[in-house]
Amino acid sequence: MDLIDEAAAAEHRQQEDCEAAAVDAALALLRRRLLCGSAATLLLPNSQTNRRKLLEALTNTIIQGCSTSMLLIGPRGCGKSLVLDQVLEALQKSYPERVSVVRLNGLLHANDRCAMKEIAKQMCMEHALTFSKGASFEENLHFLTCVVRECARSHRTMIFVLDEFDLFAQRSKQSLLYNLLDLMQSSSSQAALIGVSSRLDADQLLEKRVRSRFSHCKLLFLPPSTDDIFSLYDRLFLLPVNQCSHWQKFSEDFKEKASVVLQQGSVKQLVDEFMSMEVSGQRCVDLLFRALCELNPQSGHISPAQFKVASANLTPQPKLEILTDVSVLELCLLVAMYRLEAREVESYNFNTVFKEYKRLEEHNTCDVYSKQCALRAFEHLLERELIVFKDSSGLGNMLEVRPIKLLVSRHEIDKGLEGNISCPTILRQWRTHETIK
Amino acid sequence: MRGSQKRKRQYFGRVRLDGVEFKVGDDVYLKRIDAGKEESDEEVEDCVVCRRAGGGTMIECDICLGGFHLKCLDPPLKAVPAGDWACLYCEEGEGRNKRKRPTRRSIKRHRTARERLLASELWAARIDRLWKEPDSSYWFEGPWYIIPEETAMGRQPHNGRREVFRTNHIDTNEMESILRHCYVMEPGAFQKASNEGDDVFFCEYEYDAQWHTFRRIANIDQNDLALSNDGNSEGDWSGDNTEEHEVKSSTYRKHKKQKKVIKEVPIRRKKYSIAAKHANSHSRIGGLEGLWAKSIPSDVRRSQTEFEKAKHALLLSSIPGSLPCRETERKEIRSFLDDAVAAGTQCLGRCLYISGVPGTGKTATVLEVLRGLHKRVEDGELQPYRFIEINGLRLISPEHTYTMIHEALTGEHIGWKKALQKLDKRFSQIVSSSSVDGRPCILLVDELDLLVTRNQSVLYNIFDWPTRAHSRLIVIGIANTIDLPERLLPRIASRMGLQRISFSPYTHHQLQEIIHSRLCGIQAFDKLSVEFASRKVAAVSGDARRALELCRRAVELAEQRLSDLSSTTIKGCRHAKGLGASGKLIGMADVEAAILEMFQAPHMQIMKQSSKQAKIFLLAILHEQNRTGMAETSFEKVAIAHSLLCSTNNEQCPNWDTLLAIGCRLGACRLLLSEQGSQHRLQKLQLNFPSEDVSFALKDNKEVPWLAKYLC
Repeated sequence: MDLIDEAAAAEHRQQEDCEAAAVDAALALLRRRLLCGSAATLLLPNSQTNRRKLLEALTNTIIQGCSTSMLLIGPRGCGKSLVLDQVLEALQKSYPERVSVVRLNGLLHANDRCAMKEIAKQMCMEHALTFSKGASFEENLHFLTCVVRECARSHRTMIFVLDEFDLFAQRSKQSLLYNLLDLMQSSSSQAALIGVSSRLDADQLLEKRVRSRFSHCKLLFLPPSTDDIFSLYDRLFLLPVNQCSHWQKFSEDFKEKASVVLQQGSVKQLVDEFMSMEVSGQRCVDLLFRALCELNPQSGHISPAQFKVASANLTPQPKLEILTDVSVLELCLLVAMYRLEAREVESYNFNTVFKEYKRLEEHNTCDVYSKQCALRAFEHLLERELIVFKDSSGLGNMLEVRPIKLLVSRHEIDKGLEGNISCPTILRQWRTHETIK
Repeated sequence: MRGSQKRKRQYFGRVRLDGVEFKVGDDVYLKRIDAGKEESDEEVEDCVVCRRAGGGTMIECDICLGGFHLKCLDPPLKAVPAGDWACLYCEEGEGRNKRKRPTRRSIKRHRTARERLLASELWAARIDRLWKEPDSSYWFEGPWYIIPEETAMGRQPHNGRREVFRTNHIDTNEMESILRHCYVMEPGAFQKASNEGDDVFFCEYEYDAQWHTFRRIANIDQNDLALSNDGNSEGDWSGDNTEEHEVKSSTYRKHKKQKKVIKEVPIRRKKYSIAAKHANSHSRIGGLEGLWAKSIPSDVRRSQTEFEKAKHALLLSSIPGSLPCRETERKEIRSFLDDAVAAGTQCLGRCLYISGVPGTGKTATVLEVLRGLHKRVEDGELQPYRFIEINGLRLISPEHTYTMIHEALTGEHIGWKKALQKLDKRFSQIVSSSSVDGRPCILLVDELDLLVTRNQSVLYNIFDWPTRAHSRLIVIGIANTIDLPERLLPRIASRMGLQRISFSPYTHHQLQEIIHSRLCGIQAFDKLSVEFASRKVAAVSGDARRALELCRRAVELAEQRLSDLSSTTIKGCRHAKGLGASGKLIGMADVEAAILEMFQAPHMQIMKQSSKQAKIFLLAILHEQNRTGMAETSFEKVAIAHSLLCSTNNEQCPNWDTLLAIGCRLGACRLLLSEQGSQHRLQKLQLNFPSEDVSFALKDNKEVPWLAKYLC
């Protein structure tokens, strides 16, 4: 009797193990799909055409030696760098030894000198030469010309990738861009310049002589539409078929449940709402990834609740959160400031605010705090950037007399007072009733 | 198959000849035809005192380059001293020449290859490529080295004894003419070299034989030898003069013919069997080494189709023989330069200022005129002259111009203050007219406006030198603005503003002519489409570069279209046959597509594709703008308007933090002009595009149809 029971229990356990393994495998697969970028390229409306255009232009440069320049623009998270990376990878695979890539970033290489140095450094790395730290801008530039010429002689293409292109264009002389683009024009070079920028007017920032040398070929990356997102989610949940019977059953089950969940009105509305704030490929990948993180390994199936948690996680409300946990005294000061603004007091400082706060004290309902204490609370508010100094003048002056500004609006103060547990009722009344003196 | 392969050249990374291995990047001595009698190629030098080679350590005098046994010296030395060392003869010779050198009694004295090179009896060259011809003879190609005496200004005091210059003249020679290896290093490695033998030289500059100018070499080419010695010391690889001479190779070849090694005379017997075997085994590995790998890929560029030919013709980098539509300007520049150069040594300084918007062929025209001028110098019609080119955007600081000019003239790199002094002296003193320094010098300064400093001294000096009596300097300044002289101090304006040429933007007729002249003989373009493209560009900027780029892009798009077409026809449907003939040419549709890509305004598309709340946000700003009549609003007002709009139209209003994020995101794409998000409630916002554009983009929206009722 016991033996049979034990055997059944063992079988049950084994089955459970199998299921857990299936869940783990499925999760790993889905995560990989989401993170390696193939998902986002499927999703974005014109990423395929852009990819093709970019690939063809660069192949042209490699095979026929036509130097080109291009600009990839589009809002953040719409797959500019992703497509570029894929194209470069494909090129390096199909033309090994004939492509060398130099990557620069406008945020990292803050001036032309250090950008030029970085170019020289990367070229030295590529060709196993010794890099000299002390070389000047001109020496680096000359080195660059030489290397590009040599590369062109051995039919090797240099590809310059300038991330945050707009920041390069905002430098005073744009000498880096001028020299790179001028290089493309000399007959002894085989190079391509790819700019990536989220600013739509990036090419308008170029100086005239630089703009004349730029090819003006722009590829626009657009955010996806909501329908695209749902079709992508559907496709993602399609797990591959396997011989293992457990997996087979699980994957079918998983897909069915997932499609049911996605069909539900509440999930649809949730995703719609989430995307209505801001739509981009990155964001919809993020949402699904967060939802998968919340997945219960016991059940192993996705549910609407997970989407809810994920969307709440991804829409932070920093100001509101700060307001809900400031102390009562700080709240009082904020309300006092608000009252001052409501009475259209042009300029106020800590002393004025404290005077206003004293009037609340007259009602005798609040705890009484000293001026020192209030000043401390005032400093906290400054640190949290709920208020700021009006201007930088009077820096040496005492804190109390410098004019300040309130950064949160009436709407937010209302929400904050509601949310704050320790907020006394009198404060709410005091805020709404102008007449209470 | 085998036969066809044999007919091709075979490139190698290294080749073994007579047991000596030569690889790409090596430097070699070459036999000269007229000096073929002296067969000695001793590697070791004789001692000056005892006239014997070998037998103990030798030391070299840094002045006369003579070799001495340590034991033969008086007094004998125990070890090689550090630093420079001069022999007794040289040391005292500077005084009163007391001690006489041992007389050279023996006529049959051995002379080393080094001595013979420095006496111009041998040549030296570098190997850039090695290959085997179909007739199984081995050839190499590479630049020549010359000694300071062979440059136009002869040996100068700052030239080192073992200094050579690399010319930019590249020739092909048979491997048989090679004597043996020599070692040309960059100065840093040369300083450290102590025991490399007698055949060591250093080379710091490349010599441009056409313009007699020097250019510092970045030593990427000596990758393994030199750089392993030299860590990251200053001047590891350094280059200063970066001008590119766009010289046609054909005119250039003519110039230095005298220096050809005759290939017919066999100098050494070679062992082909060994060489070939060895080379074959290394061809794979050796052929792809580092930067100097000259593995020519299988798909060597050959423009086969009409489209590819057109694309090559339209490339900005392909230099046309002559620029069309710039006849008058060219004439003016030519007459200016003719007058200046023809006077020869009596030449007076002159200045010319050329202005015009980018892409109108300013620099190209000047360079073209100079090429013509150079041809006439070669034919002996004109006095020889020198030419220096400087680009304002390639300099670190405007003052650096002095260094560049001085270095180009003399091959000496010094700081700008010293260079200024020397240049000042040079241009004000009387130079003998026969020397190279006496030749007139043309200085081309591109992007002149970049040289403006606070006190404008650089420009003043550049334009002041020509006015001096004996300077023989001709300055051509190029910039974009037409009134640059008027913006400068009067003392500069009066010097540079006398003679001016202005390049006006191209009209559409001219652009058409340019494109047609480039496409001469290529049947790729529909005639109307060229006109369309040139009209479009002429209306915007009149920039030839832009027009060429536009046409090139159109070719690429047409290529894509045709490849798509062919792939679909292969799949089964053959009805596209009739379409083929008309579709073979680049038509209006392709140009239209290229124009769209080039001149498209992406903001409309982005606005149409943006999220729902972002659209409402834009509408709120528009609403606020209409209400107040002011372009600028604050975030607080917009947020209130936004929530009002939402509540009246049954939309859920996002909280303020989200709204702020939306505003910042729109600001990042520059649909809005916005302050930083930390300003929060007081953040200032403004539309970056006309309100008509915004309302047009927001109209007819399926997702939020109610937007239309607020837009009129």
